[in-house]
Amino acid sequence: MAKLSAKKAAQQVKAQVAKASSPVASAEAAGLGVSAASVAGAVGAPTIDTQRIVAHVKKAGAQSKVATAILSVIAALICALLAAIVIYIIGSGAEKAFDIAFLTKPPSQFRAGGGIGPELFNSFYLLVLTLVISIPLSLGAAIFLVEYAPENWITNAIKTAIEVLSSLPSIVVGLFGFLLFVLQMNWGFSIMSGALALTMFNIPILVRVIQQALEAVPRDQRDAGLALGLTRWETTVHILLPCAMPAIITGVILSAGRVFGEAAALIYTAGQSAPALDFTSFDLSSPSCPWNVWRPAETLAVHIWKINSEGVVPDLTAVSNGTAAILVICILAFNLIARFVGRRLSRKLTAE
Amino acid sequence: MATDSLSNVAASTANISLGEHAATRTSALGEVAIKTEDVGVFYNEKSQALRNVSLTFHRGEVAALIGPSGCGKSTFLRCLNLMNLEIPHCRIVGSIHYHGSDIVNDKINMFDLRKSIGMVFQQPNPFRKSIYDNVALAISRHGMASSKADLDERVERALRAAVLWDEVKDDLNKSAYALSGGQQQRLCIARTLALDPDVLLMDEPCSALDPIATRAIEDTARSIADSGISVIIVTHNMQQAARVSDTTSFFYLGEMVETGPTERIFSNPSDDRLKGYISGQFG
Repeated sequence: MAKLSAKKAAQQVKAQVAKASSPVASAEAAGLGVSAASVAGAVGAPTIDTQRIVAHVKKAGAQSKVATAILSVIAALICALLAAIVIYIIGSGAEKAFDIAFLTKPPSQFRAGGGIGPELFNSFYLLVLTLVISIPLSLGAAIFLVEYAPENWITNAIKTAIEVLSSLPSIVVGLFGFLLFVLQMNWGFSIMSGALALTMFNIPILVRVIQQALEAVPRDQRDAGLALGLTRWETTVHILLPCAMPAIITGVILSAGRVFGEAAALIYTAGQSAPALDFTSFDLSSPSCPWNVWRPAETLAVHIWKINSEGVVPDLTAVSNGTAAILVICILAFNLIARFVGRRLSRKLTAE
Repeated sequence: MATDSLSNVAASTANISLGEHAATRTSALGEVAIKTEDVGVFYNEKSQALRNVSLTFHRGEVAALIGPSGCGKSTFLRCLNLMNLEIPHCRIVGSIHYHGSDIVNDKINMFDLRKSIGMVFQQPNPFRKSIYDNVALAISRHGMASSKADLDERVERALRAAVLWDEVKDDLNKSAYALSGGQQQRLCIARTLALDPDVLLMDEPCSALDPIATRAIEDTARSIADSGISVIIVTHNMQQAARVSDTTSFFYLGEMVETGPTERIFSNPSDDRLKGYISGQFG
């Protein structure tokens, strides 16, 4: 639209210039030129000559075109990059990724034809466990920070701590988990160690998401609750959280995508070995029981890292490609689900 | 001690069943509902937003607070249900007598107080819930309904009192956001009436509404006052004050300048500032 009006103005100015060829009309043309310039949004003193205005409008139009073109190219590049990565990864892993045997069989140590069944299960199990631990903690922290915390240095310290935690490299979180959970607590490489390391990694993201969701609830909703004699807690639970829920759910699912693809924090906590799982076993102390949280559990992302760095199976490229494809498909699915659920929920809560 | 007597009163008000309450309302017409003495508000140690306001409000009456923007009328209103205390560093001085106790003290039970002193805000602010839940939420949180049937009855009664029932009775489960602005505002009124308050504070309730919706709110305010509640309405619209109120108080620069019967205030104002305001010289 801006481009259109600039063009129009340029034409108008040209017409004025044509008129102004007779010397008598030059003063009038200068006046008209200025009014045309103000249409185009140009700033100028009333004495500006029409030639300059024409040049300026032309230049502005050209600049706008160039800038728009550059920005479009950048946007297109980003989309192309994503598309290329996704297509390449899924393309090269498609053969394995859509093979049921690959998705269910345990990996093999030396021969070709191993699968990623336990890794797939471990990834989801670890994710669910991490969310079960981190959602209540983050919810509590965010509600405290938004609704209760007084403005003082302690609150600021907490906020800074959360920010610092969110910028810690995940390998550092992993090594810290190794020291604390694996060695100090003597839990060994286990799902519990991994889930707690991932919790440390996930909490700052979740706290921020929930904080923003709560802050986005209009003030008047709080006032309405308090003015009805509800306590701050009742107001939060019955009025603010339902309002913030779509944004919270979206944030949780997006953070789940990050947790699901995390490798560095798990290498030294959940371990790099995947004991074959026996889904009929409910003996929580057995290393082959899938629900045992004290067994080592390699996830999809760790599996990719491991077979590429020390794998000896002959088909390791195919296995790695297939695993990567599955990982990417799962994370894409998380993102799409997040968008869908978020939109659906907010429509349900607001309009109708 | 003062606190105890207040919460007892508030609790007993809550327990009164409809019939009895209606009876007390009629007999309570003209009784003093709330009385302030030298009330002032500090938003921080240096700036005093309001000073020395002494006013008395009666049950069954509509009282209007008028004055130009920023004169402290809303600040005063928000003292009466202690909503000002939700603002950090805000301090209320003076005394506010309500049911025989001074509510300006640390030990007051704000939750019981706000249950019996309802408030309606400038912008309609229904919850993002169904029409039914908007009214039912506070009733059930305060444990006022003995059964589902009782809850339904209370919701209906509140919606009727806010003159909204006939418009919404067929779609109580619809989102409150599907209502028009005026209907939303009446829903907010219904929500507070559902708690059987004896004072209703209205903070420029019509400023976001068109003339027809405004008229509907004014009529509702009148009928609520007629049922024995003390209605206190802040407005910057003098016609509105003249139409709806029994008494009018004029605020200017953080002070209450003049108060009296509405008719007298508008026909025969004594203070020069009030004269100037009414004749449209400022505001």
